[in-house]
Amino acid sequence: MYLDGKDEAEVEAGRTVRETLISLNIKPELIALIVVDGEQKTKDYIIQDGDLVKVLAVIGGG
Amino acid sequence: MRLFVDSAKCSGCNACRVACSLNLFEESNPKKAALIIQPHFPAPGVYEVKVCTQCGDCAAVCPDEAIKQNSKGAWYVDFDQCSLCEACVPECPEEVMFVRVELANAAWKCDLCGDCVDVCGTSALWIAEKEAVGA
Amino acid sequence: MNGYGGSILRINLTTAKISKESTPTNVMRDFIGGRGFGAYYLFKEVPKGADPLGTENKLIISSGPMSGLMIPGAGKCDFTTKSPLTGGYASASMGGHFTAEMKYAGLDSIILEGISSKPVYLFIDNDKIELRDANELWGKGTITVEKHFKEVFGEEFQVAVIGPGGENLVSYACINHDFGRQAGRGGVGAVMGVKKLKAIVIHGTKSISVADNKTYRQAGKALYKACKEASFLPEWTRYGTTVVTSWCDEVGALPTRNFSAGSFEDGKNLYAPVMREKIVITDKGCFGCPSPCGKYSRSKKYGSNVEGPEYETIGLMGSNLGISDIEAVAQANLLADDLGIDTISAGNAIGWAMECYEKGIFTKDDTDGVDLKFGNVEATFDLIGKIARKEGLGALLAEGVKKASRKIGKGTEKFAIHVKGMEQSAYATHNATAMLLAYMTCDVGAHHNRSWAITYDLQVGRDLVVPEKVARVIWLQNFRPMFDVFGGCRLQWVELGIDRDLYIPALEAITGVHRTWEDFEKVGERIWNLTRLFWARENEGFGRNWDMPAPRFYEEAPKSGATKGQITKLEDVNLLLDMYYEQRGWTSDGLPTHERLSELNLSDLVV
Repeated sequence: MYLDGKDEAEVEAGRTVRETLISLNIKPELIALIVVDGEQKTKDYIIQDGDLVKVLAVIGGG
Repeated sequence: MRLFVDSAKCSGCNACRVACSLNLFEESNPKKAALIIQPHFPAPGVYEVKVCTQCGDCAAVCPDEAIKQNSKGAWYVDFDQCSLCEACVPECPEEVMFVRVELANAAWKCDLCGDCVDVCGTSALWIAEKEAVGA
Repeated sequence: MNGYGGSILRINLTTAKISKESTPTNVMRDFIGGRGFGAYYLFKEVPKGADPLGTENKLIISSGPMSGLMIPGAGKCDFTTKSPLTGGYASASMGGHFTAEMKYAGLDSIILEGISSKPVYLFIDNDKIELRDANELWGKGTITVEKHFKEVFGEEFQVAVIGPGGENLVSYACINHDFGRQAGRGGVGAVMGVKKLKAIVIHGTKSISVADNKTYRQAGKALYKACKEASFLPEWTRYGTTVVTSWCDEVGALPTRNFSAGSFEDGKNLYAPVMREKIVITDKGCFGCPSPCGKYSRSKKYGSNVEGPEYETIGLMGSNLGISDIEAVAQANLLADDLGIDTISAGNAIGWAMECYEKGIFTKDDTDGVDLKFGNVEATFDLIGKIARKEGLGALLAEGVKKASRKIGKGTEKFAIHVKGMEQSAYATHNATAMLLAYMTCDVGAHHNRSWAITYDLQVGRDLVVPEKVARVIWLQNFRPMFDVFGGCRLQWVELGIDRDLYIPALEAITGVHRTWEDFEKVGERIWNLTRLFWARENEGFGRNWDMPAPRFYEEAPKSGATKGQITKLEDVNLLLDMYYEQRGWTSDGLPTHERLSELNLSDLVV
């Protein structure tokens, strides 16, 4: 559904996760979880050079 | 080879113990498993897991030679040979040599089947080479 | 009996008579286990009009065919009764290890009947079953009592225990187990309390036999493998349900100040990574679970340990009360657990009381001199204790917000956030129509566990009112609670996204009965209709009115946060219900038709 069906994308450092998602045509509110190095981050987190950002789209819930 | 555990990762789920009893007895009954999960709650709030280190101390004292080595080099109890003398139980440094006559007609212990590792969701258990014994 | 314990245990607390019967095959066939057994025995054996706190009500405790076996999440126990909170159907699902021990003791259900003249506890050790004196334990907290039983009988014994909340018949008293798990909602603890049953301690050493051991072992391993390979497993294990706190805040679903908004300006202090870093010490799970959601925590500030807080408690005792200190929420959690009251209902009720105070409807005379403003942590701790002991303002709040607001009047009913008398759990639904409908139509009252649809709302359009949304809610309601029927947990499917078809060969190998998910959802539908009928039978004039949400969600748009200015229209609320009843095959007033009951093989039971 996202990223033209690919699992990953390379993105610029220096922007927030929110801005990055929007630039990838992903609605931020449809991403439930952002993790960098095993730690949850909010969408205000500014992506650093070399970061591996794992995102999870909203699915089933509680 | 032997089983290792990182107790800090244990969530107390007991899936390992059901897998173990299925391996040893083909029964779903964690009380017939060969590893121990000791809960420490409400404080300090952790689980303590004890596993067989394959030290062989049990085999050394068995008067019936009922504790043998399998193809993995792990010590296991030959149920037919065990006379329930219980000499092995106090020898085990980890307290994972089990005799419960209401549950089985022989002693039982870990035979390193590895099924516990397969069902451990937190990867608290793994099998690896025994550390080399010091000189 | 393949996959089952084999027996139904009956305890008559009035006569002290203990008896066992073989688990009936027709009940296993049509209701399978767990919550299914609960619904069957409730409908069949609790007579119409029974007082929930009287001698005719029963508490039915059931394990299921998954419980105690090598299957992910095989650790859930159902507690079903007529609810003292709502007057309708109550079913609470308790994790931990109790359900497994029931199977090892050869039990599928324990049916508690009557009322004891003095405090007792039920002792079960395989076939040795006794009622023993509990006088010394009466009045004590749940943590203390469980610790006592573990010391006396050993760690192999599993304990389910009520606290002062249950003893004092608080409408939302819970039952506690494993130092942190509860049968939480609907007042199941009060039913146990009025029966003067302080605790159940259980131990069993029998093995559970299955139809096809080899296939069951393979299928079980395949399920564990799928869980271990799930890409979300590490994060889920790290944070549990708290993982969703930040997203809820972001989309306006985090209940804030008595559900007046869905975002909390200080919410960041409650997010998962803050909690993890400050207090979490162990990832604690239920029987058989590869993805332990329990976050056992230690608060340095309060010097105490608690399992939690999980998302619901963070919502209702944190943001809902204007509290942003996660350690305070953990302490509130502990107080509620030890006293034995549901954190969700208690947090919701305290939030209502705070709004009453801030609006001047309550003065300090009503609050026992306390400045009961949002954000007052000490007042919250104090009120939890008062609710459990029914003291001061706590006596009113212990009745639940529906009754409390009716007593007080003065417009407070408008912001009593409940459905059918059960306080709404931690999703603010100002603008999320599928989740709103889920709360409106949930079979126990406003609880989220049947149909968690809030993400679906965000995916397809949160204010959309279309048949597809209704169909989604219905499908989730027929499907998700089947895990409660199996005696297991739904979260491996829900959170890890494992393929639900992996359960089919496992359940067939266990029970020896081939069933597809279509078959299981039919059972789900059967139970859904039966419990709907129970509500109708027990409540004069039950129908559409009982499905209406709190007026806040169609009258008061939030003034801040992600859903600022957003509200659902009343006509859409009614439209949702129209579509729901139609798709369920019910009348326009929301009652199952005779055709429906016949299709679901319920006609005999219901006659």
